[in-house]
Amino acid sequence: MAMENTTNSSDSRIEELSDSELPTSEMEQVAMSAEEVSIPSLFTSHPPIKDNLVTITSEMQGETLAELLPYLMEPEGDLNVFGISSLIRKKHTRYLRHMLEGPFPPQFVAADATRPWMLYWALAAMTMLDVDVSEYRERIISTCTPFQNKTGGFGGGHGQFSHIATSYASVLSIVMVGGQEALDLIDRKAMWHWLGQMKQKNGGFSVCEGGEIDIRGAYCSMTIISLLNLPLELPANSPAQVNGDETFLTNLEEWVSSCQTYEGGIAGAPNNEAHGAYAFCALACLAIIDTPSKIIPRCLNMPSLISWLSSQQHAPDSGFAGRTNKLVDGCYSHWVGGCWPIISAALSSSSQPQTDLWSREGLIRFILCCCQQQKQGGLRDKPSKNPDSYHSCYVLAGLSTAQHYFGFQDQESFSVVRASAGFGWSITGRADVICDEDDWVKPVHPLFVVPFERAVECRKYFEEREGF
Amino acid sequence: MLEKMAKYSNAEEWADIVPIPQDDGPGQPLAAIAYSDDYVEAMSYLRAVMANNEMSERALHLTEDIIRMNPAHYTVWLYRSRILFATSSSLPAEITWLNTIALKYQKNYQIWHHRHTIVDALNSCTGEQDFLSQMFELDMKNYHVWSYRQWLVKRFDLWEGKGELEAVESILERDVRNNSAWNHRWYLVFGRGESCFEDKERVRREVDYAKEAIHLAPQNQSPWNYIRGLIRQTKGPAALSLASFKQFASEFASLDDPDNVTSSHALDLLAEILAEREGDAADAAKALDLLAKKYDPIRENYWKYRKSLLVGQGGVKAAA
Repeated sequence: MAMENTTNSSDSRIEELSDSELPTSEMEQVAMSAEEVSIPSLFTSHPPIKDNLVTITSEMQGETLAELLPYLMEPEGDLNVFGISSLIRKKHTRYLRHMLEGPFPPQFVAADATRPWMLYWALAAMTMLDVDVSEYRERIISTCTPFQNKTGGFGGGHGQFSHIATSYASVLSIVMVGGQEALDLIDRKAMWHWLGQMKQKNGGFSVCEGGEIDIRGAYCSMTIISLLNLPLELPANSPAQVNGDETFLTNLEEWVSSCQTYEGGIAGAPNNEAHGAYAFCALACLAIIDTPSKIIPRCLNMPSLISWLSSQQHAPDSGFAGRTNKLVDGCYSHWVGGCWPIISAALSSSSQPQTDLWSREGLIRFILCCCQQQKQGGLRDKPSKNPDSYHSCYVLAGLSTAQHYFGFQDQESFSVVRASAGFGWSITGRADVICDEDDWVKPVHPLFVVPFERAVECRKYFEEREGF
Repeated sequence: MLEKMAKYSNAEEWADIVPIPQDDGPGQPLAAIAYSDDYVEAMSYLRAVMANNEMSERALHLTEDIIRMNPAHYTVWLYRSRILFATSSSLPAEITWLNTIALKYQKNYQIWHHRHTIVDALNSCTGEQDFLSQMFELDMKNYHVWSYRQWLVKRFDLWEGKGELEAVESILERDVRNNSAWNHRWYLVFGRGESCFEDKERVRREVDYAKEAIHLAPQNQSPWNYIRGLIRQTKGPAALSLASFKQFASEFASLDDPDNVTSSHALDLLAEILAEREGDAADAAKALDLLAKKYDPIRENYWKYRKSLLVGQGGVKAAA
């Protein structure tokens, strides 16, 4: 895995500037004064075309532009050499430690069924800020133990039904702190049985017993199956067993295909509206199963998908929106931004170099200038919203995507039989972007959204085991 | 205070139940919540009744109490629906109660899944469309509500003559940019099966509707996406060719008048139309350059990629 060369090192900083005519020191002197750094007009002026007709949508878009433009034109806080807000790593880390550790006041009761998510979001965000989260191992084990049900899977808390989303968040939290004691906490055999109950005849997955069937179910299930190296054979009592030869993959590709809408984007379930978060779930789910360049064009109409994804980025509010005619929101930095490495891998062939289909600069400007809460730390949807763990995680994951190149090596050893295509990914380089050394985040795996080495450690650990 | 805390433990009705306190694990729990005393007590009784899989009136009241304190608690919702069916409780009464909760907590998966379960069992959608209109007054693009509505259409055969198309049109009259409404329209018109895409009359009506919407606000992406969907998916006698939209796209984006483009989406479509014919590739490249440089430059890389796909325009290499 080529992940070592991506950690912050001053060497690569020099490399990044080596195209410049100026030696590094002079270059920095010139750039240090913010006034000297001009912001491209793309990020400071209104869109070139505006309709006269006023509706609720256009009013909200206008208000959002008015809200964001000051942050883009006169970035807050300390600026990097490119004249945009620096990543306030220390403040974010402090904020996230608090969000991980709690305790939260009584009004946080709404999070009582999503505590595994609170763990996951904060831990994942911290790993991207290069915090060693293994110090939380004991407490993660202790906290997650009561979430797990004897019948398999993890609920949102003690005594709660197992749910695919809280199982995903619990497993990934355990994977991030790593180590044998943590990994051994997961009852894999029971998990396999429980996931078998979630698998549906139509190919999809239910999110819990008696729950909705949507694409979160498919993505989260395949992530768990892949990381824990669970058998793809279905347990005997699965509702998806008809002829006896069905597996977790049966009809899954067809089901994911049926979620693509006439717009080209992907909905949470067939016939619903195309939505960025579900596009990521669909693409990542497929890329766990097989080589992206094979499975994605096989299941999805590529030109319309790419067109739709691309159209979620606007200017000057240059982050991503989640749906057509909806507003930009920091969390789509991951949900839409995170689709691009998968799309690139799907389009790539060995003879063709990887090219960007989107604006890394736009996303980075939006993230660093608009999504950081400068006073207390934490990342947010947009300046008018409070930061939270969810946005902190997915805004930083978007930054990880914008800063790095990821590649898929089609290797024989990554066999479809074991849903291990996710392990064919590596970091192939650092993008030439408007970031100082201190603004770089540690990359996360493009499908599993945890550090590469933790995902690999987990899979290896369970591959070396015989049976359950 | 003490009395309030002891809502369950002091009640004779609950005297037979030994509450199960929350297990927070052996160590100091992470992401812990300093629950209110009321919540702690109600939850410990919930764990106890759930452990016995108790299906009773009192358990139903307990779930209501917890939902009032935490409507995002999916376990309580699922348990509640099981109790409702096991005790043959009144489902219309459940819907009435649910309405107040739904209006109060809009971004909630559980409420809508619960509604789906109950209305499915009720086997009647009376009043549903009216209630959905009420929800849309709060947020016209609520994903849960629209997804529920799509299920409702299929479950109760509301495809035609049941007010759905009229409801969509009334929302689009208020905001022609509401993409959720456009998506629902597509579902209503084409969701019943592939044969809908061969229905010439139907397709022509939809093209006209989208074109009319574009005239109101040419830079509105929704009807353009609708038209492109139609071009991709219609077939047989109703098949639409890309080329047949050349004149329409040119109304809003003409290469002869590159400074007065009134819709980047028209320019995008025009580029796609021109790309179809090898002889027009140079013009397609012009359209894509205009998008990259002037009308939609944040997507410059994407427009360059599209250009790289043009036959005779440098091919794949131009993308690099």
